Amino acid sequence: MNMLEFAMQVFRANMMDIPLINPIVEELMSVPWLNLVVALILWRPFFAVVVMPGLVVIMLYLLYIIWFERKLTARIQWRVGPLEVFRPLRGAIQALADGLRYFFQESIVHREAHRPYFVQLPILAFIPVLLPIALIPAGNVVGIKTPYAIPLFIALLSLIPITIIAIGWASNSRFAFIGSVREALMYVAYEIPFIIAAISMIYLYGSADPYVAVEKQTIPGALLNPVACLVFLISMLMATSRLPFEIPEADQEIAFGPFVEYSGMLFGLVMVLAYEKLYLMSLLFTILFLAGWSGPQLAVLGDINAPLWLVVKTLIVISILSIVRSMYARYRIDQALRFGFSWILAFSIIALAIGVVLGYEGGI
Amino acid sequence: MKEIALDVAVEPPKEFESLFLPLPKEYVEDVYRKDEFLILVGPQHPGSGHMRLIVRVRGDVIQEVIPDPGYVHRAIEKLAENRLYVQNIPLVERPAIMDSANLNLGYVRAIEEAMDIEVPERAKYLRTILAELCRIGTHLYDAAILAVFLGHTTGFMYPFGIRELICESLVKMTGARFTSSFIIPGGVRRDVEKATLDWVYWATFAIEKRLKSFERIFIRNPTVIARLKDVGVLSKREAIEFGVVGPFLRASGVEYDVRKVEPYEAYDRVDWEIVVADEGDSYSRFLVRVNEVAQSLRIIRQCIAEIPEGRVISDQICEDNDIRGEFLDRLADLVLPSGEYTTLTEAARGSVVYTIVSDGESNVPYRFRIVTPGWLYLRGFMESLRGERLADLQAIYGSFGYFPPEADR
Repeated sequence: MNMLEFAMQVFRANMMDIPLINPIVEELMSVPWLNLVVALILWRPFFAVVVMPGLVVIMLYLLYIIWFERKLTARIQWRVGPLEVFRPLRGAIQALADGLRYFFQESIVHREAHRPYFVQLPILAFIPVLLPIALIPAGNVVGIKTPYAIPLFIALLSLIPITIIAIGWASNSRFAFIGSVREALMYVAYEIPFIIAAISMIYLYGSADPYVAVEKQTIPGALLNPVACLVFLISMLMATSRLPFEIPEADQEIAFGPFVEYSGMLFGLVMVLAYEKLYLMSLLFTILFLAGWSGPQLAVLGDINAPLWLVVKTLIVISILSIVRSMYARYRIDQALRFGFSWILAFSIIALAIGVVLGYEGGI
Repeated sequence: MKEIALDVAVEPPKEFESLFLPLPKEYVEDVYRKDEFLILVGPQHPGSGHMRLIVRVRGDVIQEVIPDPGYVHRAIEKLAENRLYVQNIPLVERPAIMDSANLNLGYVRAIEEAMDIEVPERAKYLRTILAELCRIGTHLYDAAILAVFLGHTTGFMYPFGIRELICESLVKMTGARFTSSFIIPGGVRRDVEKATLDWVYWATFAIEKRLKSFERIFIRNPTVIARLKDVGVLSKREAIEFGVVGPFLRASGVEYDVRKVEPYEAYDRVDWEIVVADEGDSYSRFLVRVNEVAQSLRIIRQCIAEIPEGRVISDQICEDNDIRGEFLDRLADLVLPSGEYTTLTEAARGSVVYTIVSDGESNVPYRFRIVTPGWLYLRGFMESLRGERLADLQAIYGSFGYFPPEADR
């Protein structure tokens, strides 16, 4: 009992304060046992990682973005897009229906695959997806509060391609092998400009602390350093293998590359990896360039104001980015590498120069 | 640099023994000894169509591609030997159903040549309109396939959307979306009303308008140009040597079009130009076909404007101007005089050759031969892949519009 009381004490000391649902929370807190669950969910670090902007929001975001992207592409292409699954909302839960189908489908593990890794890696890939979430603050809702959050976030983010390459290796197929090699090459091409663009913003704000970065953005970072913003956006497209850089999983050439052998639930897991990565990178983009969680505050929402603004801004960024899917063809790997190592790298160095000049003597 | 050779024992993967490769065992061993490897693209690959390409790659660069066609071989030549001449009309359309009128036309012209049938003027104009509609439809289909091979889904959907207008025109004129079997020996099945022809006339403008948005999103898209330009180049000399035909020959700078060289139907009476390009790369192969669509629209408009009144079926076949109700009475017992009759027709993807050998007494062909353009330019297609990157395989494939059912027949 002592342990539980101690846990309760810890949770209560750092709980979300949302005036809108306060009466309900007060009511629930008087129920034994249930109050522990409620306190845990509303405990700020837990709320940040698991609810918002963490796991629960990621799941909702996946439902939304897959539907929105298909619907937008369909509108551009003189089509209707998903419609029949839940007609009142124009097929909005299509992704959920697909997910259910994946769930009940047989996951075939072929004979040549390295069985343990083949099955483990799609699940292990969630570690680098969920860990960076703990570092991203949204106002006072934060998992791990550290002044080095941005570098740590980028470091954890760069683990995702490694899991993809490992997935390709474990698949042990020619197309998966080519896809893995392409993924590795693309990784080198976008990661350097991406990191330099982020560093230029760190220079500009004079700190790697997201709180400082958001505080200093009275003018959004996208206007302070538009070159860095551009480089960041393009390397986001490259990192999440979206057209025109959908090279590692080009389905007409190498049939989904590293994921060619997956089926069923495992395919469902690896398919959403790129979308999750896009979400994480957009979170960072929002914090660095769009003034993060700052925005008009509603008193009734209390603490949840900040995460809400962060998530809304992120979703807007992603929704705008999803239009490129219907606009461009796919580049060849050598063209993409040339692009990454010449133009993008050059622009990132210009961005770094702008950042250093503007952020001279401890940031703006 | 001094080359160091190590004699390492190389064993090709076991799976090659069970895949029925049309290659000697030594070839496979040789590939693996030289640090290259074989990729089997197809027949169940999103970017191969109904055929298998055995791609020999060194790193990312294609050394050689060996085609393994025949997955959709339908023995059309043999089937044709057991059917009446008119029953063969629906059969010869089948190799490429979106190009049915052109394939139909070539066969019917061989019969007419054998029997010395004079086709009425109005029927010739109607045939030209049908042939050009099918040509536009095929070029749009190929453009769509090229787009999806490049990962451009909008470029895939637009031509199919535009092609609906072609299908609708064909429905209004003939009653079927593509395999209409409308062209018969001596003319066409029935007359087409003026209102229908006017509808088709205005549809050409609708097609032109929609093609502009296709041009904005796909044809002039920088990513598309980057993928297609200077890829899969066939020089003029190579194109002639490898026997490439049709728009792909014209893309290499050879000004040859059967419609101009040996005009048939109404092609010598309308004003149009041969579309040529000099580069011989994938982009020019694509552009030639895009510009041919414009020329075809021009031909259709002229034909509809100038179409004469009169009979639509030759009086040698049917005294009445309407063959409906007595079709088989008139045409079932066609017997061609003894001899060999060959026609050359410009189908959408190139020249198609029909040969009918008749023994002069039976009402079925003694021997029937059809050589479709796909089969003719397969060699040029394979040679143009040499030295390109693996990712270019689909770009070049799409630029040739290779259609396995048509090539395999």
